[in-house]
Amino acid sequence: MIVLRVHVFILSFWALATTAGGQTPFFVEHLPDEVHRDVKMSLVYEASDGFLWFGSDEGLFRYDGQQYQQFPVPDSLGSNTVTAIFEDEGRRFWIGYEDGRIFHLGPAGRLQLWEPEEGLPAARISGFGQGKDGIIWLATYGEGLYCFDGRRMYNIATEDGLPGNDVYVVVTDEEGRAWIGTDGGISVCSVEGGEKNVRNITRADGLPDEIVRAIIPDSKGNFWIGTYDKGICYYDTRKQAFSVVQEDWPFGPVSTLELFEGLELWAGTEGQGLVRYSLSTGQLSAIEFEGLAGKKIYGLHKDCEGNIWVVGNHKPAYAANRQFEFIKETADNIQAVLASRSGRLWIGGQDGLYRYDEDKRVFRLYKKENVISLFESQAGTIWVGTFGNGLFCIDPATGRERHLTEADGLSNGSILDIDGRGPYIWLATLGGVTEFICDTDVFAPGHLQVKRFDEASGLGTNFIYSVFLDSKGRTWFGTDGEGLSYIENGQIHNFAEADGIALKAIYSITEDSRGHIWFSSGRDGVFEWDGRRFQRLSVKEGIRDMAITSLITDDKGNILIVHPSGIDLLDPATRHIIYYDDEIGLKNIEPNLNAVCHGADGAIWIGAQNRLIKYTALNENLCIHPRVSLTSVSAFLAPVDFRQRQVFSYNENNLVFEYVGLWYTAPSKVRYRYMLEGFDLGWIYSRDRQANYSNLPPGAYTFKLAATENEAFDDEPVQSYSFVVQAPYWRQWWFILLCLAASGSGIAWFIRQRDNRLKREATLKKEKIESQFEALKSQINPHFLFNSFNTLITIIEENPEMAVEFVEKLSDFYRSILQYREMEVISLEEEVELVQNYAFLLKKRFGDNLSLTVRSGSRQAYIAPLTLQILVENAVKHNIISKSRPLNIEICAEEQYITVRNNLQKKIAMEISTGFGLQSIVNRYALLIDRAVRIEETEGYFSVSIPIIKNGKE
Amino acid sequence: MALFCCLLMWNSGAGQGYYQIGEGAIYFKSDAPLELIEASSDKLRGLINPADNSFAFAVKLNTFQGFNSPLQREHFNENYMESKKYPEATFSGKIIENVDLSQPGTYTIRAKGKLNIHGVEQERIIKSEVVSGKKGLEVVSSFTVLLEEHDITIPKIVYQKIAEEIEVQIRATLLK
Repeated sequence: MIVLRVHVFILSFWALATTAGGQTPFFVEHLPDEVHRDVKMSLVYEASDGFLWFGSDEGLFRYDGQQYQQFPVPDSLGSNTVTAIFEDEGRRFWIGYEDGRIFHLGPAGRLQLWEPEEGLPAARISGFGQGKDGIIWLATYGEGLYCFDGRRMYNIATEDGLPGNDVYVVVTDEEGRAWIGTDGGISVCSVEGGEKNVRNITRADGLPDEIVRAIIPDSKGNFWIGTYDKGICYYDTRKQAFSVVQEDWPFGPVSTLELFEGLELWAGTEGQGLVRYSLSTGQLSAIEFEGLAGKKIYGLHKDCEGNIWVVGNHKPAYAANRQFEFIKETADNIQAVLASRSGRLWIGGQDGLYRYDEDKRVFRLYKKENVISLFESQAGTIWVGTFGNGLFCIDPATGRERHLTEADGLSNGSILDIDGRGPYIWLATLGGVTEFICDTDVFAPGHLQVKRFDEASGLGTNFIYSVFLDSKGRTWFGTDGEGLSYIENGQIHNFAEADGIALKAIYSITEDSRGHIWFSSGRDGVFEWDGRRFQRLSVKEGIRDMAITSLITDDKGNILIVHPSGIDLLDPATRHIIYYDDEIGLKNIEPNLNAVCHGADGAIWIGAQNRLIKYTALNENLCIHPRVSLTSVSAFLAPVDFRQRQVFSYNENNLVFEYVGLWYTAPSKVRYRYMLEGFDLGWIYSRDRQANYSNLPPGAYTFKLAATENEAFDDEPVQSYSFVVQAPYWRQWWFILLCLAASGSGIAWFIRQRDNRLKREATLKKEKIESQFEALKSQINPHFLFNSFNTLITIIEENPEMAVEFVEKLSDFYRSILQYREMEVISLEEEVELVQNYAFLLKKRFGDNLSLTVRSGSRQAYIAPLTLQILVENAVKHNIISKSRPLNIEICAEEQYITVRNNLQKKIAMEISTGFGLQSIVNRYALLIDRAVRIEETEGYFSVSIPIIKNGKE
Repeated sequence: MALFCCLLMWNSGAGQGYYQIGEGAIYFKSDAPLELIEASSDKLRGLINPADNSFAFAVKLNTFQGFNSPLQREHFNENYMESKKYPEATFSGKIIENVDLSQPGTYTIRAKGKLNIHGVEQERIIKSEVVSGKKGLEVVSSFTVLLEEHDITIPKIVYQKIAEEIEVQIRATLLK
């Protein structure tokens, strides 16, 4: 059961009545690599360095004409769908995403999340713009507009007067105000001193549709506006008035706009491909290219080379050079072209004269003749030159026709070229030159006024290829084999030689904006004549094909050089030549001699094999060089932030430079030359996009780089990057200084040590000598000997055996002293023996009043010689020894020390003493060992502890 | 969105001043090379709030009748629309034009909102004809739905029998 009536809608797009021309630029696919083949590109943006950036559902891409490089977001927390790209005046990138996040592009191409204090929007970022004083406009689809002044972020939404929060587009005007398109029209927003201003432009103001999808400013400060239902309109900001391009817009919603200043507005539609609107003729037409038919267009961009880029729901990005357009369906082998002032196209071929039917997009046969030249006179008459059958004058408006032959004064029936000014029509024929003066109706029967010039009148030959009227009233001729000629005031001038070259066949002649004459010869390239001198341009100057068929000067003063390999654009002033060929559709054009003409709209038409080429000089200042830039520098394959860093250490001397020259018109044609100043001796020519340097010695370098698209480097700008590879640290001045200082102080330390040691040794020696002297002195002390002899006297009679023993001990004692005095140390045993000998001698004198007890282990220990003897002697010397007060001396060896201790009973009258004995021991020990000699005087006891030397070498 | 909630609580009664569907029908057509499929439902529900020109419409998918066979209807509900999982198709949003629907007259309006079919939401702008009369509003609209946009996949074998683009028409009377 069907409840509703079925409505049948017949929509007819491709409304042919609104289209005209039929010429289409040549679109080239720019496919990403296999991995990213299915990426949905939705916007394209050109950065100030010339790189094209693409936004897609798989993130951000940068394209150099050959490769897409992906810049992924650093996390997978949010969306990776890029919805807005912008580079601000400070060359900072703003990348907006579907989920409202915004990233900046950090060093080394890393995306960095922008985190404003106020937080990020939660709606899709639909655009950016830059206002006055560096403020950034952020448009969102859902939260209105934001304004960030560097510190604070303001939101402008419906509460502030916006008619809707879904912002489709944002652009800025000269005052930095944001013009935004919403579902409620256009809103002009500004923030001044923290105050938000919103002015709405709505249907009430003449806007044809409230849904504004696209806005684009022009150079006059006005705006083109793309709407949802009503197509394109123009807003004059001074008059505050709208003009609608077409009331009945047949192409559906407009999604994006791009403007070729003064020439054309391009519109991307939502489902009906690309549309363009001619600013001069007001014609609206669909771009007839199958790849875009019926597609949704999301983004359009005109790059600085004159290419237009298109992204949409067709998968690859497309680009086409706007300067060249093509009409494909033509006659074979076009020999002559004419674009009449009324905009009609005529072509001449071997089979006839054809006129273009713009509605049906076909060339219709107008007349069956072998047509080789065409010209439209000021009167609107079409002059048709044939090969062998004379000349036809045609009035297309009335259909009147007149056939002119030799009988009418024509030099020859084959007319190779026609030019004219006012009533004067000049013909280049195979029988010389004919000039018709048509000050009467040419179609009226009767004789036309004729002048003829030929070999007889002074021309080099009668075979004339081309005729050209210059701005100074001269008529120039290109002859077959006899060079260049001109006629001025009836006088013929011939040039048979130019710039040292004998001129032969001259095919084509033109004049530049300075009045210089340019002509091409059959095989010697292009010549310039400045009125006095000739200069030739050949292969060396960038002419790539010598088989030049035509020269023609465009509206901007550039000269088009047409040849079988393509079309070259020569700037006469700088002589820079740009090549156009395969990449923009100029493959196998096989042009015929002088099959070129100027159109009424400033365009140039060029006839080629099977197609007609339309060249339009753009009003934009186009880039004429590849934009060359260094993209990365890596040291041992590790990328370096070369924009910040210019210094490399000695072991970072393996460098790779990567660079690119952007020439989107023909990316594969780009060639490079580079030189590392300080290393290379000259330029290195390459088509690679990287240069490797290994093992660079320390030093200062400059990497210089240039790119060309036409093999001529001379006028190409040079990029350079200077850096330093440092010497290794051991060759740095500071390190050398440090080493010198260290070794200096080392030597000084060593000398001081040695000094100290020598000093100590000297002191020790002196001490030793002194103590030996002291010991000797004391031992040969007359008192001791006297006392010993007295003792001997007393015992010699009583006990002769004892006396013998006494003398033996005495002599042992003296021998020991003599034996040990030279030694630094002796064993404790030897010293104890010596002391016991000594004590024996003393005991014979003092009897029981003196007692000496020795407690020493049999340990391996050493002692300075005579130490104990001197101490015992001291004790005997300084103390009272009597029956009532006996002196007890103890020698007691402990772990570390050997102690000589006696009970203290000082003599009242001191024996004269140098006091040297004890002091000498202390001094000697200070030199021998770390441990000090301990002298203690406690109640009733005096003791001296001598450190024991363990190994005799300490 | 508030309006949409009202719509879900259908029987609890709409708020004051709303237009509510008294009689609503929705029809769709799949015109494929090998087969024409048509179906319709008269259980379309909907509300329009004339105060802010917001609206909400919904229809239960299992209320569609027609088709070329009962099996086809079963396939529609089970294979393509997955009616158990996504029982309703909805469209809610705001009218773009600044019109006062309470004033009698004929209006061509564009309704911008979220069209939810098969659980997949798409933002759409749908043109409609609205006649405002004494009793209420008469709404007529037609639009197309791309199956791909709503993740409705058609097996290759029936490619020739189901159109990629479905034509939809609605006609509804909304009473105050």
